[in-house]
Amino acid sequence: MFEAFSPNSRRTFLKAGFLSSAVFVMNGCELFSVTTSQDTIKTLQNDLFPKAKALGVETSSYMSVILRHSRISDEDKAFIKNGVKWLNEEAVKAYETAYVKLTPEQRQETLRFIAKEKWGESFIYVMMGYLFEAMLGDPVYGGNNNEAGWKWLEFAGGEPRPKVAFL
Amino acid sequence: MTYDVCVIGSGAGGSPIAYELANAGYKVVVLEKGENYTEEDFSKDELAVSRRDMFTPPLSEQKHVINEYSRDGSFTRYDGEKSGWNFWNGSMVGGSSNLMSGYFHRMKPNDFKLKSVYGDVKGANVVDWAISYEELEPYYAKVEKVVGVSGRVVKHKRQEPRSTPDFPYPELQTNGVVKWFDKACLELGFESLPTPRAVLSQDALNRRGCYYSNFCGSYGCASGAKGSARAALLQKCDAKIVTNAFVYKLESDETKITRAHYYSKPGVSHTIEAKIFVLAAQAVESSRLLLNSKNKRFPNGLANSSGELGKNLIFSAGGSGSGRFIFEKLTKEQREELMRVGLFFNRSLQDWYEYEEDGEKYKGGTIDFLFEHQNIVSRVKREMYDDNGNLAWGEALAKKIHKTITTSRVLTFEVFNDWLPTDNCNVGVDENAKDKYGVPVGAINLNGHPQDLRVGEYMAKKAVEVLTKMGAVEVSYSISSSPPPNLVAGGCRFGDNPKTSVLDKNCKAHDLTNLYVTDASFMPTGGSVPYTWTIYANSFRVADAIVRELDQGFKENL
Repeated sequence: MFEAFSPNSRRTFLKAGFLSSAVFVMNGCELFSVTTSQDTIKTLQNDLFPKAKALGVETSSYMSVILRHSRISDEDKAFIKNGVKWLNEEAVKAYETAYVKLTPEQRQETLRFIAKEKWGESFIYVMMGYLFEAMLGDPVYGGNNNEAGWKWLEFAGGEPRPKVAFL
Repeated sequence: MTYDVCVIGSGAGGSPIAYELANAGYKVVVLEKGENYTEEDFSKDELAVSRRDMFTPPLSEQKHVINEYSRDGSFTRYDGEKSGWNFWNGSMVGGSSNLMSGYFHRMKPNDFKLKSVYGDVKGANVVDWAISYEELEPYYAKVEKVVGVSGRVVKHKRQEPRSTPDFPYPELQTNGVVKWFDKACLELGFESLPTPRAVLSQDALNRRGCYYSNFCGSYGCASGAKGSARAALLQKCDAKIVTNAFVYKLESDETKITRAHYYSKPGVSHTIEAKIFVLAAQAVESSRLLLNSKNKRFPNGLANSSGELGKNLIFSAGGSGSGRFIFEKLTKEQREELMRVGLFFNRSLQDWYEYEEDGEKYKGGTIDFLFEHQNIVSRVKREMYDDNGNLAWGEALAKKIHKTITTSRVLTFEVFNDWLPTDNCNVGVDENAKDKYGVPVGAINLNGHPQDLRVGEYMAKKAVEVLTKMGAVEVSYSISSSPPPNLVAGGCRFGDNPKTSVLDKNCKAHDLTNLYVTDASFMPTGGSVPYTWTIYANSFRVADAIVRELDQGFKENL
């Protein structure tokens, strides 16, 4: 049960691998597309909150911190992974291709559609929550580049600042 | 070796014992489940502290089972891990006092005799305390000096008697908006009170004064200004502190505790022997340990011949509310005052500590006012839904967030009133749920008395009057019987009668000659203020009793 606390454990490695490994987008037995979770998340987060990119804040790589985090439950991690899969499945159902390959308007339509579903609303809420953590947490976590998120909201982080990330 | 005193738990309940006994020359060991942190370790990392709960155990490893009772006596069972319902408050040296805001109010004289003054309440187990305010007063005064309480005494109709004219440390600096509050209260005929804080306003006691970090509550204090049990007491005595020591069983013979068993990690057990054992693991865990320590002589749990162990668990009733000040309604000068961060708000109302409604006299409580916590991720996340309750995203959400955060600020209030003790609010153990050590977890049975809500509502409406008078918008409040996990007491009532109480007047178990319980477990009723000051004061009082006992034993052995 303590495996997740070890940064070099196989289990942790597999979780980190989720982002870059292929997602096979299927409809029944038919393969429609191949994408990666990282691509889906990057596109999704930019669709949800383009301000982050406009401020020069990179938020999607923070998801690898979350997926390895000792304090995020396996259930919550599984929900993120399933959400990425389900989002792509919805894209396939409506447009017969992966989420990242849709037009911006098609992606917004897909988001509006899933937001009406319980899982979809939760998924968007969760993904935006992590996006805000990346954008407004201490830069020691790899996001909030040049404190651009804080500057945007005229916020000064509290002192003293953390020297290392809590993982 | 055999220690003179073994203290279980290093928070506000245990540390005064360690401090006083160690400084009196006795050999003291403190067993603390969590780790040790110092001022150097405390950063203002919102992600670690507030979003990843770095100071409390993961619920996958240690949890509670919560049984929430309805009025008809039925209940719903919640597994702490599955539901995320978290009752941990700070597993670390100094306990949750490291993370408190330190709003320090004394209980009032009538709080010690609730039954005599206000009478029985149907469905509630109200009793008077075994001591009076006058007996505890010298220890409240001691805490002001030793732990460090800053403030300013003002004359008001609810002011409790004091043995000293004023606080030993001057009040902390306050934000300009406090003037608006004071003016509104004056116009409404309410008495605005400076809130005393367990935060040093200047360098003293070999600790640095407050540097107004803007992140006080929930966070460890990086200057040592906050009067945590660690900074104020444990760092100033030579009690031995053993960290990562989870006490899972107290062993006893017929009359006394013989040793404490603890795990340093799952499966690795140790024992400690001492003349006196002092339990202060915070209310729920103290009852849990005594229940889990049952043996042939005490089949229903240690020190439980009365059957009262775990009973009458209480929290603080009430709730919270808020109002928003927006730039559109303010002058340039007012806007600047409003947005000046760091300085405290520090205002309270106690006008309705007692009140009458419909010809009935009610025990009311305290309302503390404070700015909304500065945690930026939390504040932004609160903006994620639009006015129609729909999840928002994109540019529209960005505009909303920017406007809200940069051109308005929220003033909040917290209502503290009595959580009346009832039959269905207590601590047990759930034999079907084990923690990472394989020990049955605490079962928290929850029940709120209807009067708690009625009183909370009454007071919240008074707070709303103030916010409205000040010109706030979006004024709202929520009073509920949802328990604040950090304001917990009861389970080991003290009293003179061994048949109706677990502890005697000095918080020693009626059934055992060398077991004391000095966290908030002893409290039969909680008063209408946060508990920490009273826990500290009572623990200093009990420390005096233990010193007397050990001194006596020492003399007899000469």
